[in-house]
Amino acid sequence: MKETLLSIPSPFGPAVTLYKNWWEGSKSPDDVLSIVSGLHGDQVNGLYLNSLLTRFLDRVVEGLEADFKLKGRVQIFPVVNIQAAQSGSRVWSFDDLDFDLAFPGNDKGETTERIARAIVTHTSDSTHGVILKTANHLYEDAPHIQLADPDRPTKKMAQNLGLSVVRKLPDSTTFQLSLFGHWRENDIPSLIISAGEPRTLDRSLCDSLFTGLVDLMVHTGVLTTSGNKKQVAKLQIYPANAEHNIISSHAGLFVGEVKVGSCLRQGQKIGEMRSIDTGETLEEYAAPVDGHLITLRNYPVTFEKESIATLLSDKKQGFWPF
Amino acid sequence: MPCISRLKKRKIRGYHETKTGKSGCPSHGRETGLKTHKIASRKNPLGGSIEIIKQTFSSIRSKPVKRISFVAGLHGDELEGVYLCHRIIETLRQLKATRPQAFQGEVHVYPAVNPQALSSATRLWPFFSMDMNRKMGEKNGDSLPSGFARSLVEDLQASSDIVVDFHASNLHLKELPQIRIIEEFDKKLIPLAALCNMDVVWVHPSAPVFESTLGYNLNRKKIAALVVETGICLRIHQEFCEQVFQGMIHLLRQTGVLDLADPPPKIKQPLLIHPKQVALIQANHAGLFISNVPLGAHVKKGDLLGKVVDAVRGEVLETIASPADGLLFTLREQPVTYQGAPLARIALQEIP
Repeated sequence: MKETLLSIPSPFGPAVTLYKNWWEGSKSPDDVLSIVSGLHGDQVNGLYLNSLLTRFLDRVVEGLEADFKLKGRVQIFPVVNIQAAQSGSRVWSFDDLDFDLAFPGNDKGETTERIARAIVTHTSDSTHGVILKTANHLYEDAPHIQLADPDRPTKKMAQNLGLSVVRKLPDSTTFQLSLFGHWRENDIPSLIISAGEPRTLDRSLCDSLFTGLVDLMVHTGVLTTSGNKKQVAKLQIYPANAEHNIISSHAGLFVGEVKVGSCLRQGQKIGEMRSIDTGETLEEYAAPVDGHLITLRNYPVTFEKESIATLLSDKKQGFWPF
Repeated sequence: MPCISRLKKRKIRGYHETKTGKSGCPSHGRETGLKTHKIASRKNPLGGSIEIIKQTFSSIRSKPVKRISFVAGLHGDELEGVYLCHRIIETLRQLKATRPQAFQGEVHVYPAVNPQALSSATRLWPFFSMDMNRKMGEKNGDSLPSGFARSLVEDLQASSDIVVDFHASNLHLKELPQIRIIEEFDKKLIPLAALCNMDVVWVHPSAPVFESTLGYNLNRKKIAALVVETGICLRIHQEFCEQVFQGMIHLLRQTGVLDLADPPPKIKQPLLIHPKQVALIQANHAGLFISNVPLGAHVKKGDLLGKVVDAVRGEVLETIASPADGLLFTLREQPVTYQGAPLARIALQEIP
């Protein structure tokens, strides 16, 4: 069911309308899964992925997916930063605010604050939360899970997504202002899936994440299946100190030679920096350790001392014994 | 500012420092008493470098009485502070040339700390779409704005007892000159703020959003940091700037940084307000806000402040009246208005 949560009149165009899609298997379900995408207006993988999930859940409810039955409630918030999504930009130019620094919001405040508050209100009874994101501006992420200090339910969630790489988020002064931080403060087991790059739709990536999210629904109890239970993934957990940032010593045009998601050997070339003026190679970048290339710069114009790539080192990783 | 490329350069204490020389830039062919430091520098792929510049006026004492720093341009569209820094540098240069003994303390001016955003007149650092004043206190950020934010905090911490962080308002609101203080720092900051020739000193509770700002992080590090808000972004209000400038010179005198023989001019006694004394007036409709009173007016309960109109249908959607007597210290300047948008703030004469 599509439900309008908030409709804010606009001075000139149609109202700014926040909505969610939701499906419920029983009247008072024990399990409520909230999935949020579009916190930044240029992150389209999450929008597409949520459209796949919406189509799937509609079919489940209509009895067209014979192996699945809805038991709990799933609610999907496909586009949160509505005006930014309409302009294809990360932030809404009207206030230039990073939407994911607007939580918990204010229902009597400005447009961004009202939308943030509505998301908080409508996810407050969630038993599980998932946020779909891509890499930040200028970068591409290999699909992975991001967690804060995970409790056992969160670990279980991560284990069922079919992704093996998990990053523990470092401390941040803005953590409390994010939706994820707000959920964590309110003890909602939750995680972030980051995959791909802004402004680009990667359909095959979304297709594989779709399967993982359906498995997650089964795990959380909102969905039951008559099919075989899937084997859970063995997770590789990387704390913040297992991350190796490769930083440019020169400014120029970065040309990558590896794909994000690759497992690199120490010394393997990642790419090089070329002078925009002369075309000469200013610097070559190699993996400082064996590791998993989780983030790679995809926008070539690069300043001095900027991050080129992030490698997760095998040596410092931890394992969760499941 | 001197022509840096033509100045004598030397390395001191890890800084790439430039010093004005007698045969230096022709437009400043005499000793200015100004030392220019680059506190952060990154090469630009298209040539040149992005830099944060600090201008220092040293003390005649080996141990300065106090060290005061002025910071502007964290948001690249807030230009009032950048102009204020110009006024401060210009004045102190003249003073250094004519009365160097007046400098009992040390003054540092950081006139443009987000140079790329200032060059494109945007709030955010444009290449990264990042708000530099939400990057303070981060230990882990690896972006250029995060690195510059770290360098700025470290340098201010190393060279300041008091910091004044100049801001204009956002794209929408115009503010009377004021200083905003988080409650937990009020005992230390109110006496300093009272010296600054402001209309209002607003003490407000803390909130998570402040934890990533420059002012909060410096105050947590025991550096007294005053956050000035004045005017609106993308504009320079010379009247407001002159008022704040006089306040800054007064602050320098009262803290002993400047020792001037002539008696200090009289300054404004600011209205000290707490949250209960601030009436926020918000729009109930989306439309165009047309104001009816000037910023700074002393309004009475029921006075017409403005109206919100529907430009397409030619209708008045609501009239905005003052809820109480008081000083109109914030007024919406950008007319496009959504429901809930702030239209005005009034400092109430009486606590309700």
